[in-house]
Amino acid sequence: MQREVGTLPLAPALRARLAAAGFQTAQELLDTGPCGLSKEIGISKEEALEALQVVRQECHGDAARTAGGSGATRKCTALELLEEEQTQGFIITFCSALDNILGGGVQLTKITEICGAPGVGKTQLCMQLAVDVQIPECFGGVAGEAVFIDTEGSFMVDRVVDIAAACVQHCHLIAEAQQEEEHGKALETFSLENILSHIYYFRCHDYTELLAQVYLLPEFLSQHSKVRLVVIDGIAFPFRHDFEDLSLRTRLLNGLAQQLIIIANDHKSAVVLTNQMTTRIGQSQSTLVPALGESWGHAATVRLIFHWDNGQRLATLYKSPSQKESTIAYHITSHGFRDVQPPAVTHSREGTELNPRKRPRTEEEKQ
Amino acid sequence: MDWDQFDLNPKTIAALKKADIKSVKEILNLSGADLQRLMKLSSADIQCLLKTVSHTLRRNSMLTALQLYQDKDHFTSQHQKLSLGCSVLDSLLKGGIPLVGITELAGESSAGKTQIGLQLCLCVQYPYKYGGLESGAVYICTEDVFPSKRLQQLIDQQHKLRAGVPAEIIRKIRFGNNIFVEQAADLDTFQQCITRRLSLLLARGMVRLVVIDSMAALFRCEFGPAESALKARYLQTFGAQLHSLSTQFRTPIMCINQVTDAVSESEAAQCSCRVVGSRVTPALGITWSNQLLMRLMVSRVSVPGHPPGAAPHCAGSMRTLSVVFAPHLPPSFCYYTVQLEGVKGIK
Repeated sequence: MQREVGTLPLAPALRARLAAAGFQTAQELLDTGPCGLSKEIGISKEEALEALQVVRQECHGDAARTAGGSGATRKCTALELLEEEQTQGFIITFCSALDNILGGGVQLTKITEICGAPGVGKTQLCMQLAVDVQIPECFGGVAGEAVFIDTEGSFMVDRVVDIAAACVQHCHLIAEAQQEEEHGKALETFSLENILSHIYYFRCHDYTELLAQVYLLPEFLSQHSKVRLVVIDGIAFPFRHDFEDLSLRTRLLNGLAQQLIIIANDHKSAVVLTNQMTTRIGQSQSTLVPALGESWGHAATVRLIFHWDNGQRLATLYKSPSQKESTIAYHITSHGFRDVQPPAVTHSREGTELNPRKRPRTEEEKQ
Repeated sequence: MDWDQFDLNPKTIAALKKADIKSVKEILNLSGADLQRLMKLSSADIQCLLKTVSHTLRRNSMLTALQLYQDKDHFTSQHQKLSLGCSVLDSLLKGGIPLVGITELAGESSAGKTQIGLQLCLCVQYPYKYGGLESGAVYICTEDVFPSKRLQQLIDQQHKLRAGVPAEIIRKIRFGNNIFVEQAADLDTFQQCITRRLSLLLARGMVRLVVIDSMAALFRCEFGPAESALKARYLQTFGAQLHSLSTQFRTPIMCINQVTDAVSESEAAQCSCRVVGSRVTPALGITWSNQLLMRLMVSRVSVPGHPPGAAPHCAGSMRTLSVVFAPHLPPSFCYYTVQLEGVKGIK
């Protein structure tokens, strides 16, 4: 009831008039009533009535929220955040070197950006992640679904089929080695058709369609609450031509980044974006830098740069809040995104390797 | 824009008309706060407006990957590809050229790029059953004169190249009639050609293949190193226009490109070219590479001997066709020769 007039969701012109007339809290507005209000600030009675209805609804909503405990602003301690982060799942990439430098895999609730020259493997990693997000929990996955927004037309479903088939095969091998009941049950629903039917594909032809699609995403994600990954491949393509006014582009990209951060947080999903590289001409030489400008560099939480060195593909973790900068080598095989050499795997530890969330038994006993 | 047809609050419609907002694009270009100020509505109304226009723009746009996989319709399926007319080359490309997107064919001079371009112009005219698209082709020449004599030779020898196709079908197709040749020697003519003539031909359904021979020729003379930003802008605009035509009409676009020497190791690495020992990179740099779906490279192999298992009666020198990058293909290559009847791969 003591809500300030400036925070109410009314039209800005109306708010300005109320402030000029001296109204400060919502309670004052409600006390005045519609006739008094319309006389004091010079609006029609219908408008005054509408405004008061909005105010009443807001205050009602506020009261319900404070009674319920969780409001628009949530307070929690850093310890609670730490515990939440440690139980957070990761989406594995099947390249253990890459998973290691990322701290377990692609993190949920964060935006990860992948930059690289054409042909280096950005779309391949996106397709791999769209399959890996669906791995059942007993195999170390997050058992989610994926949204794939394609702006370049590089989503070739035959390739996704190869990747998905290899992933199912991998899980079958683990199940055979470990012979646990939950593995068998999970494998019943983890089939090629199932995986394909849970990748939701959107094709956007220009930046207007992309903006519209991102406006509709929160509603889509509420309806499909199992989605844990949103991929936009690529974010640079629709924004790099057709812009006379670069400040408009910066503003649109910033707005897009903010919406994606809210989506990642509210729906506990990972957002993965792919970006192009462009040449920056320096004093004596030119270097490749990620496209879309300096201010776009702030949008993503984690930034990976893929590049070539003498025929070997390398991935560099360029920006991360919790992991240090490092470079690893990776391969793209017919099965998808993989390590350069298969990691040495012993039967007894296979379970823990694929499941970074399960802390080893000894630590718990100590506590 | 007729706002009355949208499912909006009459107050919102009145505000839209008063603020003189003419299109959905204008609405999405403005931020939430700007819209509130411009239309004098509350944030809840603006959110509702944004959701409604976004819905109208993106109605029925979702597909699952399973639907894409199971789609067998000739026009929309991803499985449909444009065959090259030779089974060896087709198996390298897992069926042929994808229908949507820009495919580049780069290589040194006289490696066979124009030959492959001409062969595609003939292949596109075959029925769907034989890997074609039952339609014509547009061939845009930017430097040389169109090789019409060679085209006639190829047409006469089609029955020899496409031995698997029944002779009556080949006889029925009027190959020469369905190839439209355009000359565009400079950037403005090229721009005109794409925006007017090409869209007209595509809209009428008369062509379903565009071959551009070659992109680099348009940019070689006119741009010095100081104008690289302007060159990049042209490349991006052309790329976007070609891309949107390709998507709208599901038409493959084959761009033939020249190569330049790779000055440093890093430059060669940038374009991910590990072609058989050569130090050349496709021209036009990374700006153009970013527009492509798929890149193929051809080169002459100056090896005196034959690759193992090759037929000993190949006339002419061996050439290689390699996949540099593609979203659905591994980097691989195969050998081929250029013969009287056309380009034929060698196992």
